[in-house]
Amino acid sequence: MPGDLAMWFFILAELSVFAILILAFAVTQALKPQMFSDSRLLLDTSTGLAMTLSLLTGGLFAALAQEQVRRSRPRRGAVYLLAALLAASVYVLLKLTEYHHLLGSGLGMEHNTFFTLYWILTGFHFLHVLLGMVILGWLADRCRRGLYNADNRSGFESGVLYWHMVDLIWVVLFPLVYVLG
Amino acid sequence: MSVSRVLLVCWAALAALSLCTVLLGRAEGTRLLTIAILLVAVGKAWLIADGFMEMRHAPRLWRRLMLSWAVILATVVGLTLVVFR
Repeated sequence: MPGDLAMWFFILAELSVFAILILAFAVTQALKPQMFSDSRLLLDTSTGLAMTLSLLTGGLFAALAQEQVRRSRPRRGAVYLLAALLAASVYVLLKLTEYHHLLGSGLGMEHNTFFTLYWILTGFHFLHVLLGMVILGWLADRCRRGLYNADNRSGFESGVLYWHMVDLIWVVLFPLVYVLG
Repeated sequence: MSVSRVLLVCWAALAALSLCTVLLGRAEGTRLLTIAILLVAVGKAWLIADGFMEMRHAPRLWRRLMLSWAVILATVVGLTLVVFR
């Protein structure tokens, strides 16, 4: 497996936490289906799709960077990581715009149960995206300095795995929050 | 197929499935559509796990753990949406 074993245990722990939050959302939705359907209409699915594509594109570039490091081309890997960061920045911009719009419309955390769970779930994920971007930036800097290569790449792979975990969580969150119901 | 090409194919499939999710969501909601949307989500999660995270080369136990995460969630979410409605 790529990366450190410790990172895989960390990923399992993170996935477990998100699973609890996702299940809480699903059960509450079953209890209040009409509220969830009505509230979901206030979210823009196209923006959700654009956010999904930007995260997935970031994942593609991060994986391509990993391939370059395995070929002992860390500086080329750094370029791919910068592309991943650019794609991730699109997600951040879209998410902040969505948050701004919702807050401006009075749809904050206390509006109803749907939006309480929406803010908790997406906000917690958003924080993970930000941490993922910090990690990708740090990896890019180390790649630029030529500190990773085919023989020394475990730390690099662990960082990239974290980003893929963020993607993995989002592809389940997206239909649940924006589409289903 | 080269690694880069595998990754590009994965990304293209993920993008296409994401578009499918939105299109399915815009159709009139039925149980079948709900199940289809959840299956698409599971497919995307597997593509990320096997393609981007390289679980296809991982020990069986770890791969099963990662792939089952999305399956379990989709099953429970599906049950809450389909059965309890």
